[in-house]
Amino acid sequence: MSDLAVPPLRNQKPSLWARYTSANPLLIAALALVLGLVFGAIVIAVTTPVVLDAWRGIFHHWDGLPHALNVTFDNVGAAYRAIFTGSVVDPQGFWHSLTTGKGWPNTLTPISETLTYATPLVIVSIGVGIAFQTGLFNIGANGQAVIGGIAGTVIGSMINLPTFIHLPFSLIGAIVGGMVCGAIPGLLKAYTGAHEVIVTLMFNYVTYAFLLFAVLSTPFQQPGQSNDISRTLDPSAILAPLFGTSSGLRVSYGIFVAIAVVVFAWWLLDRSSLGFDFRVAGANPSAARASGINARYVIVVSFLISGGLAGLAGFVQVASTTHYIDGGFLIGNAGIGFTAITVALLGRNRPMGIVWASLLFAALSVGGRNMQASTGIPLDLATVIQSAIVLFVATPVLVKEIFRLKKAPTSTLQLATTGWGT
Amino acid sequence: MGNVSLVTPVTESNSPVARNRRTRVIAGIIMAIGLFSLFVFGLGTHAGSHASLTFDPLNPTNGPWHLAALTFDAHWTNIGLGIVMIAIGVEVFWREPRRFVMGRFGIVALLFLFTLLVWSARGPGPSPINYINVTSLLVSASATVMVLIFGSLSGIMCERAGVVNIAIEGQFIAGAFLGSMIASTTGNFFYAAVGGIVVGGLVGLVLAFFSLRYQSDQIIVGIVLVTMLSSLSSYLNLQVLTPFPNFNTGNTASNIAIPLLHKIPLIGPVFFNQNGFWYAMLILLGVVSFALFKTQYGLHVRAVGEHPKAAATVGIHVIRLRYINVVLGGAIAGLGGVAFMATQGQFQVGYTSGLGYIALAAMIFGRWRPSGAVVASIIFGLSVALSYELVTYSVPVSLYVLQMFPYLITIAVVAGLIGRVRPPAADGQPYIPG
Repeated sequence: MSDLAVPPLRNQKPSLWARYTSANPLLIAALALVLGLVFGAIVIAVTTPVVLDAWRGIFHHWDGLPHALNVTFDNVGAAYRAIFTGSVVDPQGFWHSLTTGKGWPNTLTPISETLTYATPLVIVSIGVGIAFQTGLFNIGANGQAVIGGIAGTVIGSMINLPTFIHLPFSLIGAIVGGMVCGAIPGLLKAYTGAHEVIVTLMFNYVTYAFLLFAVLSTPFQQPGQSNDISRTLDPSAILAPLFGTSSGLRVSYGIFVAIAVVVFAWWLLDRSSLGFDFRVAGANPSAARASGINARYVIVVSFLISGGLAGLAGFVQVASTTHYIDGGFLIGNAGIGFTAITVALLGRNRPMGIVWASLLFAALSVGGRNMQASTGIPLDLATVIQSAIVLFVATPVLVKEIFRLKKAPTSTLQLATTGWGT
Repeated sequence: MGNVSLVTPVTESNSPVARNRRTRVIAGIIMAIGLFSLFVFGLGTHAGSHASLTFDPLNPTNGPWHLAALTFDAHWTNIGLGIVMIAIGVEVFWREPRRFVMGRFGIVALLFLFTLLVWSARGPGPSPINYINVTSLLVSASATVMVLIFGSLSGIMCERAGVVNIAIEGQFIAGAFLGSMIASTTGNFFYAAVGGIVVGGLVGLVLAFFSLRYQSDQIIVGIVLVTMLSSLSSYLNLQVLTPFPNFNTGNTASNIAIPLLHKIPLIGPVFFNQNGFWYAMLILLGVVSFALFKTQYGLHVRAVGEHPKAAATVGIHVIRLRYINVVLGGAIAGLGGVAFMATQGQFQVGYTSGLGYIALAAMIFGRWRPSGAVVASIIFGLSVALSYELVTYSVPVSLYVLQMFPYLITIAVVAGLIGRVRPPAADGQPYIPG
C-alpha cells in the first residue's frame, strides 16, 4: 500500500525530534518489540510459582510489596538475561576471551547458533513476504519447507553424484519440491478461487502425514532403524560449517544461499517488471486488472516462488544442522514456516527488513532454549513474545496511542485479500 | 441446503462457462473414484467373501436393544457401490446440477471410504476382524461432528456480521485448556463449560477489539491469535500442568441417557446417549438458526454483514452489533473446545489438530447457514472417523496416508465450492463509521 501512497513533502523539513518521535515504521517496530517484551514479562510473572508466592505475601510482611517487586524483576530479569546471553554473547565469557585469548569458540557459539537459525528463516520469510506483496497469504510455507527438505534429502542421501554437482542438485531438488507443493494452492486459487489460507493450512497437515510416511518407508528410512528417521546426507551434499568442523561452530555456508536469496528478492521486487506486477496486484487488484496484468499468472508464479523458497529453506535447515530428517522436522514451535509469517510482517515484506526481523526472532528462539535450560521457563515463551510483537505491528494505531506518538502511522500490513474473496 | 435469495453477481469465476467446466471436472473426479472402487475394492475382492455390519455398542450393558448383525457379500456390495458412484458422476456430468454438487462429492467420498472399509473387513481376508461396528463408528464420528458444529456455528455468528473469525482453532485450544483445568479441579463439567465460554468470549473480544477498533486485517489478527494461544498453551502446559498433574487429570464427561429413547438401536447411542455438550450443541443449533433467520436481531446482523453502510443509515449500531456477535461466536467456539476436551480427556499440546480450520471449511461448505454447516460437519466428521476406524483393520495402506484424507476432502470441497458460494458481502471488510 505505502508504495503507492503519496510521499510526504520533502521541502517542509520537520524537526529532528519530531521526525524520530513520529510514527515511522521503524519506531513502531521497535516499540512493538518493547510491548512484546512487556507482555512476555507479565506472562512470566503470572505463571512462575515463586513470583506468585511473593505476591501472595505482600500483606503479611512490612516489606511485602518491595519484596514481591524484587522477586518479579529478578525472575523476569534472569529470563531475559538468559535469552540475551544465549543468543548474542555472554559478556563475562567475552571479556575472558578478550583478555586471555582463549575460549573463542565457546564465546562465539551463541551468535553462531543465532545465525544458523536465522539462515533458513530469512529464506522462507522472504518467500512468505513475496506472497504477501502479491496480496497472497501463504500459511503453508511450513509444509512446503517440509516437502523441500524431504526432496533435497532424498537427492542428497540416495543418489550418488560427483561432489561439486551433488549439493547444487540437492538444493534445486528442494526448490522444485517446494514449488510443487506451492503450485497446488496457487493453481487452485487462480482457477477455482479456493482461498489460499484454507488450502495451505490443510496442506500443512497433509505434509506432516506425508513426512511421517516418508521417514518410515523403506527406501528413505535410515537402514537398520525402526524409528522415524531418514538416511543421512552424503558429505558431498551438506552445507559445511564456515569455520570448519573442528571449531564446533555450526554457522555454515548456507549464509551465502540466504544472501543470494536476499539479492534475488531485492532484484525481483524492486527491479523486475514481474515484481512490479506482483506489487500492483497486491496493492490494488482492480487497478492490476485494468492495466492488463494477468491475475492468474501472477498468483501462480508468486506461489511458485514462495513455495520454492520455502522448500529451499527446508533443505538448508537440514543440510546445515542435523543432516537428516526425523518425524519432528519443523513441527510445532520448531516450524520456521509459521515464524516466517510473523517475520515477514515485522520486516514489512521487504528483503532487508526481513533480514533484521529474522535475526531478532532467531535470537529470541535460540535464547529461549538457553532460558529454558537455565531458568526452567519454557521455550514457548519466545513464540508468545513473537506473536505479541506482530499483533502490535499489525495494529500501528494502538502503538501510536499507547506511546502518544504524533502523525498518522503508516501501515503496510493490510492485506489486499480481505474476506474469502472470489 | 437453503436457497440463496440474493442474486449472485456474475464474475469471471462464476460465469456459466466456468461453472460448467468446474462441474465437469468434479464429475470426472467422482467417476475416477467410482472406477477405482469398482475395480480394486469390488472386482479385486474374491467372490464369496463376506463382511458384516454389527450394531451393538462396544459396551453393551444398559445399551440399546439388540439388533442382529447384517452379513453381506463384500464382492457384490463393492461392485454395486462402485457402480452407484460412477452413476452419480455420470449424472453430474450430463445434468450439470446447480445445487448440491459438492454434497454429492461428499457422499461419494463417504461411499469410497465405506467400500475401503468393507474391502479391508472382508472375510476370508487379511484382517482378523470381519465386522464393521456401525454404532461405534457413528458414536466416534459424533464426537468430531459435535466439535465441528460448535466451530462452524461460531464462524457463522461472526461472519454473518462481517468479521472473519479464523481464530476458532485458538478458541478451541483456550477452551480445552481452561476446561481441562476446571474439570480436573472441580470435577464438574458445568463449571468447565462456563470457563470455556468466558475464555472463548475473551479471545473473541481481543479479535473484535483489534479488527473493529483498529481495523487491522482480520485474517492476520486471527492467525496471530492462534499462534499465540497454541504457544501459550504449550508454555502453560510445561509451566503449570506438568508440575501439577492434578490440573489435568483427563476425566471425561459422563453420558446422560435419555430414558427409553436411548434404547433405540443405532439411533439411541448416537443421539440420546451422549454427554451434556451434545445436547447443548443441539439446543444451540436451534437457537442460532432461529435467532439469525427469524428474529429482528438476526435481520440486523445479516444487514451488518451484507451492507454495513446501509444498516448504519437505518439506525443499526454496526460496530456494537459486530462486537456482540464476535464475542458470542468466540464463546461458542470456547464451549466447543471444552466439548472436545470432555470427549478426548487429558489436554495435550496440539491435539485439536486443525479442527478449527476444518470447521471454517464446514461453514463455507454449508454456505454460512447452520443447516448446511450440519451437513458439512457430518461429512467431515464421518470421514475423520472412518479414516481412524480403518487403522484397526490391517489395511495395506499407511496410517499416515489415511490421516491425510479429511484434509484432502476439505481442500477438494473448498476448491470445488468457492466461486459458487457467496459469502456475506462485507465479510472481512473493515467498517469505518461516519
